[in-house]
Amino acid sequence: MIEFKQVSFTYESGGRESGLSNINLTIRDGEFVLFCGSSGCGKTTLTRLINGLIPNYYEGRLEGSVLVDGINVSGVPLYDMAGIVGSVFQNPRSQFFNVDTTGELAFGCENLGLPADEINRRVTRTSAELGLNPLLNRSIFALSGGEKQKIACGSVAALEPHIYVMDEPSSNLDVFAVEDLRALLAYWKAQGKTVVIAEHRLYYLHELADRVIYMENGQICKEFSGRDFSAMKRSDLYDLGLRVLSLEELRKLAIGQTNKSSSFLSFSDFYFTYPNGSEVLDIHKAAVPEGAAVAVIGHNGAGKSTFARCLCGLEKKCRGSVKINGQTLLQKQRLKNCYMVMQDVNHQLFTESVLDEVLISMEQEEQNLAEEILEGLDLLQFKEVHPMSLSGGQKQRVAIASAVASSRRIIIFDEPTSGLDLQHMKEVARNLRSLSERGNSLFIVTHDPEFILSCCTHIIQVEKGQIAENYPLDECGIEKMLGYFLDAPREQADSKRKQKVV
Amino acid sequence: MDTAAPGKNTAARIPLDPRTKLVMLLAVNIVLLGGGFSGISVIIRPMLAFLPFILLLSEKKYGKSVMYFIFIGAALSCEGFLVGRTQGLLNLLLVIFSGLNTRFVPGLVMGYYVVSTTKIAEFIAAMERLHLPQSIIIPFSVMLRFFPTVRAENSAISDAMRMRGIQAGGKRPGALLEYRLVPLLMCTVKIGEELSAAALTRGLGKPVKRTNICSIGFGAADCFFLVVTTCALLLWAVF
Repeated sequence: MIEFKQVSFTYESGGRESGLSNINLTIRDGEFVLFCGSSGCGKTTLTRLINGLIPNYYEGRLEGSVLVDGINVSGVPLYDMAGIVGSVFQNPRSQFFNVDTTGELAFGCENLGLPADEINRRVTRTSAELGLNPLLNRSIFALSGGEKQKIACGSVAALEPHIYVMDEPSSNLDVFAVEDLRALLAYWKAQGKTVVIAEHRLYYLHELADRVIYMENGQICKEFSGRDFSAMKRSDLYDLGLRVLSLEELRKLAIGQTNKSSSFLSFSDFYFTYPNGSEVLDIHKAAVPEGAAVAVIGHNGAGKSTFARCLCGLEKKCRGSVKINGQTLLQKQRLKNCYMVMQDVNHQLFTESVLDEVLISMEQEEQNLAEEILEGLDLLQFKEVHPMSLSGGQKQRVAIASAVASSRRIIIFDEPTSGLDLQHMKEVARNLRSLSERGNSLFIVTHDPEFILSCCTHIIQVEKGQIAENYPLDECGIEKMLGYFLDAPREQADSKRKQKVV
Repeated sequence: MDTAAPGKNTAARIPLDPRTKLVMLLAVNIVLLGGGFSGISVIIRPMLAFLPFILLLSEKKYGKSVMYFIFIGAALSCEGFLVGRTQGLLNLLLVIFSGLNTRFVPGLVMGYYVVSTTKIAEFIAAMERLHLPQSIIIPFSVMLRFFPTVRAENSAISDAMRMRGIQAGGKRPGALLEYRLVPLLMCTVKIGEELSAAALTRGLGKPVKRTNICSIGFGAADCFFLVVTTCALLLWAVF
């Protein structure tokens, strides 16, 4: 049982992370509780109080007490909670202590000093239960995001905790990996484990949740039973700033937007192979309307990222060409005419102030023009601020501003909405629409159908390195795109079931 | 975006104990940094310089091993044959080229081999067998864990710089180092922080005797490499 008694917390570092005030809450054993709310509502802070990272790791002022199985969490060292509460975090890149998968599964048990036989038994059992056998003895760096998250869950499960605490575990996952995560959570629930999960994506969770807690400004604002929550209307959810509960719902939301441009942006001879032979790109000819916002969808490992990198000219060995506006762009020219807003924008902000960031991108540095661009993206008030001190969404806008300043015509976004709540997702969509209006061609690698519907006009689906589908997002296209996102996970689950039977 | 080489298997082809690898790393560095091309060094230095080549080959890193072989072969032959027979500026250039490369490159390549083939768990187990205290083992194991992370982050930053045309010959070349280091530090600090949090919630630092399930220990290959390197080191030191 988890009990919060009159809990308030403020982070010492201040910053953007919001604290909590006056939380009273009891979570029974075996309960599945979902925390939702916009970014900064305090749901992450709440998970940190349960696993003891607050106040043992993140410091601040804590009032009241948090009891887990009657133990006051703040009074015991973190390692004593390790066998009771298992934690899975948001970023699959930064959860691993080992560089090999098997070592990672055993890591927690080794720390607790369990006998070697027992650890081997647990690792074998956990990997059988969670279907991790194909991933054993691999390098962590060779895994996809979804596979990493599975190993993270396995590593925690090997400790056999009876409470699982998860902080936005699906942020970096595609629909297929989310489906696997859902199955795993259902399994833990069936085992009678307590699951506490903070999340933005709700469609895969609401049917599992016994209770849904909506938070705002560090307080518990509303509580629903799982059933009531599932029955909520979309408009009510949107009022709370929450994402859709089922992808089916999106059908009603859909507004067909297509791009009426008559000229085309065409690709030819995009061939690329990594030196070790994996991940190939093999596009002979393809064309999309010029000035379209093209969503690039497809399975993980289908070649979407490779396509984006080749399009940007980042892969020297991809000799293909892009024709836009009657001009042919080869690799080196693409490097000058395309701009990629990366998934982790921290990799592409270099200077000391937001204004500098824009100026350095210009051929001729013009302060007025730079300020105009910043104004357009709602960044002018931050022009003297260090980009690294901004929030994630603001950083993304700075990257967009520098793309605009460098007058690139093709702008590529690599999963711009991973881990964003409704409000921030809409903000990104708005920015993209305004880029479209300026006449830029946009390519957006994404797994987010809600986002696609809010700003894209065209779809290309990449599978096995080829463009499997290429269609405008008209009524028919919307149906097709939603079909892909709705059916694919089901098909995957079916084929897995068949494999098991065989 | 995942920039690391996919499909890499971490199991080493010749299973060497981390302690053997460390002894070899030390031997290569001591002998080659020491320099000199007289007496027994004529045999010992090239021998140890080719050790990383053999090890990389055993890991099936053919491209890298062949490149290293050609490069270090050229540098060593320069030092051995050409330096004594040239004069003036050419001589100076050759001395600098061969001197620097034969001294530092083998050590670096050897280090690369050790880092890329040693699992963290093996490393920790080996250090514990040597009875080193936790306060040394944990920071060193974190460091080992961090090399590939820093490399992945660095390559993502390089891509971003190329895309924005921020490079030598571009705008503000003086600030290049700063432009690279600031994001690199920010990213690695953030990853480090999240990594520690994840490790602590899984019981790292519990004051009990830590278990190790990976089997380390000396095998035939270890004996062979240990004997060869120790002999080489001793001969080099004595003569």
